[in-house]
Amino acid sequence: MMEDGLETQTEPFPEDHVQFEAVLKELRDLPKDDLEGKLVVSGFVDHPYGEDDQRCLECMYYLVHRKWCDLPELAVPVEPEWWCRLWRI
Amino acid sequence: MANLLWLQGGACSGNTMSFLNAEEPSACDLVTDFGINVLWHPSLGMELGDNLQQMLRDCISGKIKLDIFVFEGSVVQAPDGSGEWNRFAGRAMKDWVQELSDVSDFVVAIGDCATWGGIPATAPNPSESVGLQFLKRDHGGFLGRDFKSKAGLPVINIPGCPAHPDWVTQILVGVATGHAGDVTLDEFQRPKTFFQSFTQTGCTRNMHFAYKVSATEFGQRKGCLFYDLGCRGPMTHSPCNRILWNRQSSKTRAGMPCMGCTEPEFPFFDLAPGTVFKTQTVMGVPKDLPEGVDKKGYIKLTGAAKTAAPQWAEEDMFVV
Ligand code: SF4
Ligand code: SF4
Ligand code: SF4
Repeated sequence: MMEDGLETQTEPFPEDHVQFEAVLKELRDLPKDDLEGKLVVSGFVDHPYGEDDQRCLECMYYLVHRKWCDLPELAVPVEPEWWCRLWRI
Repeated sequence: MANLLWLQGGACSGNTMSFLNAEEPSACDLVTDFGINVLWHPSLGMELGDNLQQMLRDCISGKIKLDIFVFEGSVVQAPDGSGEWNRFAGRAMKDWVQELSDVSDFVVAIGDCATWGGIPATAPNPSESVGLQFLKRDHGGFLGRDFKSKAGLPVINIPGCPAHPDWVTQILVGVATGHAGDVTLDEFQRPKTFFQSFTQTGCTRNMHFAYKVSATEFGQRKGCLFYDLGCRGPMTHSPCNRILWNRQSSKTRAGMPCMGCTEPEFPFFDLAPGTVFKTQTVMGVPKDLPEGVDKKGYIKLTGAAKTAAPQWAEEDMFVV
């Protein structure tokens, strides 16, 4: 889907915990199997993002061996060079 | 025999409960094996009413020698500095505290409220609570920065919410048996023997900390509680994972983040909603990094740690 140019909501990046929670709440409100919805709300891109070249590889939720996002609200397969706005280190 | 007197100010009795659960030595061992004579304690003292008042006055006059004065709870100064909100034995508790501290060889503050003011001193602090010698990080406590007990030591601070029973009994025994000279204190007057290392020392999740694998829920057996759940283990001086609670566990072993209760700032962020059990971040990076680590180094370290993480770090570490 991302290769096909899916437009996702990369901004605003949640600055603090309150904003982070707000995005999580939006995700929780989606139907469980709405993959496209998850990608859009969490602002997925298939390349590093921002000044610091943030990427899944450094993110807290990234499980290297399973190539998996362990954030319960996402729980999707991801690549190390991807990024989403729930990135957190 | 060393005479010990224990009073409670603005307290929940948690430190007394902890003390009564002590095992090595137990509260009874203090009396039978280590020659500590408990003159009075809110849960153990026999004297009541006029007799208690008389005994306290005898301590102040020197008729009864007071070796160790233990205080639990905050010093309540409300309303308007009078201390009348916390009366004890016929007068404001704070007045007893002042006079008993002045005549005692050693003064020991037990628990966060007595050491730094603790939860009662959290803004807006309606009870005007302070610790014996500190208010949070500053020397703004009740007895004043320059206070020294008769033996020449400042208040010995044993923080914790509550303090672990071993921290209490071992220091009391040390002092009562003439080893006070061996008790070295840190800048916050905590005995170094307990408070030089971090809660993280001995934590079973250290590998998960190193490889940056996060626990996302309480009680989860895999993952470190630092990244998501606000664990303060890397920043908190305490031996909770060396000297276990009930000799078997600790918060982090059970999957509960350390809240940093032995540090003067506890409770952190004044308990504002959303700040407890949540790692505070600025643009995705933790606000409080482990001591001595800067943001740049932290990001680099994370990349390296993640790349090097072995597979088992992502698996549940216990097999039931
Ligand atoms: S939260 Fe976002 S950046 Fe982090 S691993 Fe999951 S998808 Fe990647
Ligand atoms: S759970 Fe807490 S104490 Fe244990 S390794 Fe992680 S941050 Fe350190
Ligand atoms: S683990 Fe942390 S919060 Fe718990 S008692 Fe120890 S220092 Fe306090």
